[in-house]
Amino acid sequence: MELTPAQQLAMHKSMVRIRLFEEAAGKLMETGQMPGFLHLYVGQEAVAVGVCEALRVDDYITSTHRGHGHLVAKGGDLAKMMAELMGKATGYCGGKGGSMHINDLSLGMLGANGIVGAGVPIAVGAGFRNKYLGSDQVAVAFFGDASTNIGAFHEAANMACALHLPVVFVCEHNMYGEYTPTEKAMAIADVVDRAAGYGMPGVIVDGMDVLAVHEATLEAVARARRGEGPALVEAKTYRFYNHHGIQTLGVKYRPDAEVIAWKERDPIFTFEDRLVEGGVASRDQIEEQWAQVRADIAAAIEFAENSPYPEPSALLAGVYTAGGAK
Amino acid sequence: MGSVGIIVNPWAGKDVRRLHAPVGHTPDTAKIGIVRRVILGALDVGAERVHVARDVGRIAERAAKAIDRAVLVDGPGTGSALDTRRAAAQMAELGCAAVAVLGGDGTSRDVTMGWRDAPIIPISTGTNNVFPGFVDGSSAGTAAGLVASGAVALADAGRRAKLLTADIALPGGDRIQDIALVDMALIAEQGTGARAVVRSDLIRLVVAALAVPASTGLSAIAGRTSPVAADEEGGVVVRLGGEGRRVRVPIVPGSFDVLPIASIDRLADGGSITVEGPGVLAYDGERDRVLPAGSTATITVARTGPFVIDVARTLRAAADHHLFDVAPGDSTAATRTEAHHGH
Repeated sequence: MELTPAQQLAMHKSMVRIRLFEEAAGKLMETGQMPGFLHLYVGQEAVAVGVCEALRVDDYITSTHRGHGHLVAKGGDLAKMMAELMGKATGYCGGKGGSMHINDLSLGMLGANGIVGAGVPIAVGAGFRNKYLGSDQVAVAFFGDASTNIGAFHEAANMACALHLPVVFVCEHNMYGEYTPTEKAMAIADVVDRAAGYGMPGVIVDGMDVLAVHEATLEAVARARRGEGPALVEAKTYRFYNHHGIQTLGVKYRPDAEVIAWKERDPIFTFEDRLVEGGVASRDQIEEQWAQVRADIAAAIEFAENSPYPEPSALLAGVYTAGGAK
Repeated sequence: MGSVGIIVNPWAGKDVRRLHAPVGHTPDTAKIGIVRRVILGALDVGAERVHVARDVGRIAERAAKAIDRAVLVDGPGTGSALDTRRAAAQMAELGCAAVAVLGGDGTSRDVTMGWRDAPIIPISTGTNNVFPGFVDGSSAGTAAGLVASGAVALADAGRRAKLLTADIALPGGDRIQDIALVDMALIAEQGTGARAVVRSDLIRLVVAALAVPASTGLSAIAGRTSPVAADEEGGVVVRLGGEGRRVRVPIVPGSFDVLPIASIDRLADGGSITVEGPGVLAYDGERDRVLPAGSTATITVARTGPFVIDVARTLRAAADHHLFDVAPGDSTAATRTEAHHGH
């Protein structure tokens, strides 16, 4: 892996964009300035960025209910994202989709998804499309550990392997399905143990290390692009906030020591230390990146706040395909 | 009677090499079985108890289930190498007479970092391993139990391993000391990435304490040019490059790269060599330490590593002394130590 300093700084900036976007959105939601629920991606930034930096713009990804990070990492427009979350007409879905349906087909981002595990078969469909058309595009399915207990995951993984499709399965194992620890819902500890059952290689990677995720994904994507079929990458990671929002519900479901231990491995701050220690960037350069992103987030919020809500006449727009259902 | 310890790297046999090479996956079920067999083997020959370090894969708790004298040791953390180091330190505090270590070369290194004099039985559960061997858990447990119970003296069970030490001087004046058990290598990369070394064209130098011809990975570069066995003193330094000698080496299993060899120099016991950054130092086959420009690493080899219990030698000593025999009329001897599935 030969990443230039510019590439590494771009990966850092992408993680900072996710971090600050999520924290801003979370505060807007909890102060009543943004409707609906938000499932924040804070803590897991290295996974989305490490994976998406290994993809081409025309490669596909499918996402989850915790999907903002995936869209940001694929190159999403922060202003259109913020507007969508606020339900404004200038948003990605015209303000009618919100957090869990956000997408950008021009970037190959086929959508967040409010149903656990439901994005996985969509990625397999995209992989089927790629193979059917003879394209060398790859499809990546992001999903959580708990979604591998869902039937849709099994059917999708089986089909992808049986048909040898160019799909990379990226499991973000953050140890909890909503508020339930993995060990209460699965008899195995590593999702990767399931890969062999479908006939694909599976690897564990440190999901708090953006370069480790990136390197593993590069190889998994290269295999898929060469026609060598699917692979599963299990990134061990942790969400710093709760299942949704910033504040707790008063439900004690994670030991404090565990949360502290994972936060000590913050994927952004540890990466910054390595950039400085390796002579790739200075502390001033890193601070400048944060400042730039803070300005971008402020501009995105301003754009969203100043945007109109969709007109009632837009109610059915985008619901049916052109010409209507047949 | 003494106790036995067990430390498991839950993610060994599941790393990124599976994307680069036709190597298998080691599922938890396999590791649970090995740990359970180690426990039962140790108790069968008189270990007082077996301390099993908790791990993020929950392998320990599943393997120790329903065995009274198998005691779980507190932990784990977040699934990093720090868990292994802390577990080793806990095993030292508990006074374990032998510690079975399941994982790869790096796992035994991490145990050594937590307990420099650990008496270990390294058991391979992955690929590219040189330090640990493939051994059945029953036999490994029996060897550990024989040492713990005092039936076989530690001195008769094995010997101390060699250790590579890197004394690193950073440009700012900070100093760091790292260790390895098999090899240290300078790689022309910027970061540690997914850790595995898969690009042979970026390898600049290998210092090996164990240079084994019948191995894969960095040790094989030295092993196929200037072998050094575990019982030989010192090591070897191989510099890569130039237009001279070329050798075939499987850097990853199943991939045979042709590598240019610039020089080969033996390193005597206690001898050292200094390398300069920039680059990344790989320890026991995995990129670990970024060496910035202007820094140096002085690598020394000496027989100051952990004490390695040789399973075959220990069981042979026990057999020679009829230690597996049940005394006539010993009604307390169980006809079978339980071997229920632990999962």
